[in-house]
Amino acid sequence: MLTKRQNLLETIRGGNPDRFVNQYEAFMCQPTRYGMIMVNPYVEAYPAITRGGKIKNAWGVTIFWPENVPGAFPMHDDEHKVLKDITEWRKVVKAPPLDFPQKEWDKFKPSLDAIDRNELFATLFNAPGIFEQLHYLMGMDDCLANFYEEPEAMKELINFVTEWQINYATLLCENFRPDALFQHDDWGSHRSSFISPAMFDEFLVPAYKKLYGCYKSKGVELIVHHNDAYSANLVPSMIEMGIDIWQGPVTTNNTPELVKKYGGKISFMGDIDNGIIDRVDWTREVLAAEARRAVTTNGKMYYIPCCTMGGPESSYPGVYEALSEEIDKLSKEMF
Amino acid sequence: MSKIQEIATAVENGKTKIVAGLVQEALNEGIAAQEILNVGMIQAMDVVGAKFGRGDIFVPEMLIAAKAMKNGVEVLKPKLAAAGSSSLGKVVIGTVIGDLHDIGKNLVAMMIESAGFEVKDLGVDVPVDKFVEAVDSDSEVKIMAVSALLTTTMPAMKDTVDALNASKNRARFKILVGGAPITQDFANQIKADSYAPDAASAAKAAKALIA
Repeated sequence: MLTKRQNLLETIRGGNPDRFVNQYEAFMCQPTRYGMIMVNPYVEAYPAITRGGKIKNAWGVTIFWPENVPGAFPMHDDEHKVLKDITEWRKVVKAPPLDFPQKEWDKFKPSLDAIDRNELFATLFNAPGIFEQLHYLMGMDDCLANFYEEPEAMKELINFVTEWQINYATLLCENFRPDALFQHDDWGSHRSSFISPAMFDEFLVPAYKKLYGCYKSKGVELIVHHNDAYSANLVPSMIEMGIDIWQGPVTTNNTPELVKKYGGKISFMGDIDNGIIDRVDWTREVLAAEARRAVTTNGKMYYIPCCTMGGPESSYPGVYEALSEEIDKLSKEMF
Repeated sequence: MSKIQEIATAVENGKTKIVAGLVQEALNEGIAAQEILNVGMIQAMDVVGAKFGRGDIFVPEMLIAAKAMKNGVEVLKPKLAAAGSSSLGKVVIGTVIGDLHDIGKNLVAMMIESAGFEVKDLGVDVPVDKFVEAVDSDSEVKIMAVSALLTTTMPAMKDTVDALNASKNRARFKILVGGAPITQDFANQIKADSYAPDAASAAKAAKALIA
């Protein structure tokens, strides 16, 4: 039996997997919320948002998490928006320092040494992404309009954010020697990408090529990018960026067609919409049928059956685990 | 190219900086404010909405077209008010309680406004009674637009629509719902009057609801 890591590599390389890769199993290497490497000196240096709380994050963005809401959100009313005029970004946007004493990094060494890298990928979790950082700072409406109205200032800010991300990546890679990166950055709604492929290529592809190129040059074998949206039109750009696995494709992408068209250049992890399976009225039958549809239509290569959620969890208790059980059953039946 | 056509082209292409000037030129030429609004702007935004619906353009293009229109409307406002022009009606919009998503809701508000409605935005995480109060306290409201972006807030959408359906003023307004996890089936189940899958079709649906 292949290890989880070997089985994933066989799947995305068109080799001989001996079962379906089961959702996030190959990346869960640490006792953290998502099972990935999520804590480091930078993360520890700033307050973490918790339900019911309001914090100012490392970039000055106010994050609010009301008790009655499942997740935290950046605030963009007049009082809280960090960047009100993109042309003023140099005066306003301050990147957080990354100069931590070596002992702060070293304290994580025992937990990293404990990872069985034959069985699992030592996987870094990172969020927000470059695009998300932009709209965290200025709000989504301004962000999208600024691509048109102030393109040069946007490129400068993207470059600034990317350089900071590269410095952060360098420290993470040198200290943690990760095998994989799991990066969040949502690029669309369920119906379309936020921006056109041409705009995406002009603004975001060069930035991500640099960032993902940095990770790969420092030994990261696998770039897994979370984007639970319609982005079928961006797949060639994702390949150019260096993404190995797109996690989160929703069913509107027609993932089976993408697997046929791009399999071998990139793999797809998702196609089981949380909007369908992870609801207050969820049932095992609906979930099992979705899992079966997904593996039957996508096949065994270049595809990893997974919920579209950006981590190994579900909104409703038991859904993630039930989906894992159904995928295991399908593996026994189909391999 | 006529001045109105020039305005329409500028709106369609999101020329935010020149629309106000073109509108002023059109007024100076003696073109009626209502005609500039209807033909030069609202029809132009219909074209923008159709292109968005087909996937020919994306959110930024729609956003700057709406911004361009808004700049033009600012110039028209005094003339429209003086002429006693009225909007298509008032729409109240909000994202249901427990949900802080505002991008889709803002786009819908923008497109509905661009279609000629007056929009009152209640914001996000809106309690059920605030929706009800908004419609009960204002007899001008013709449409209640309710947004939810999470599967976890679909029950809150149902609660909101249930409460609106129970309003003593139910006969005088329609209910429009939308958001990523919402489907026509769900809209039917919760007894909303209409469902729109995106911002452009929300504007179309709003017009159909008052037709």
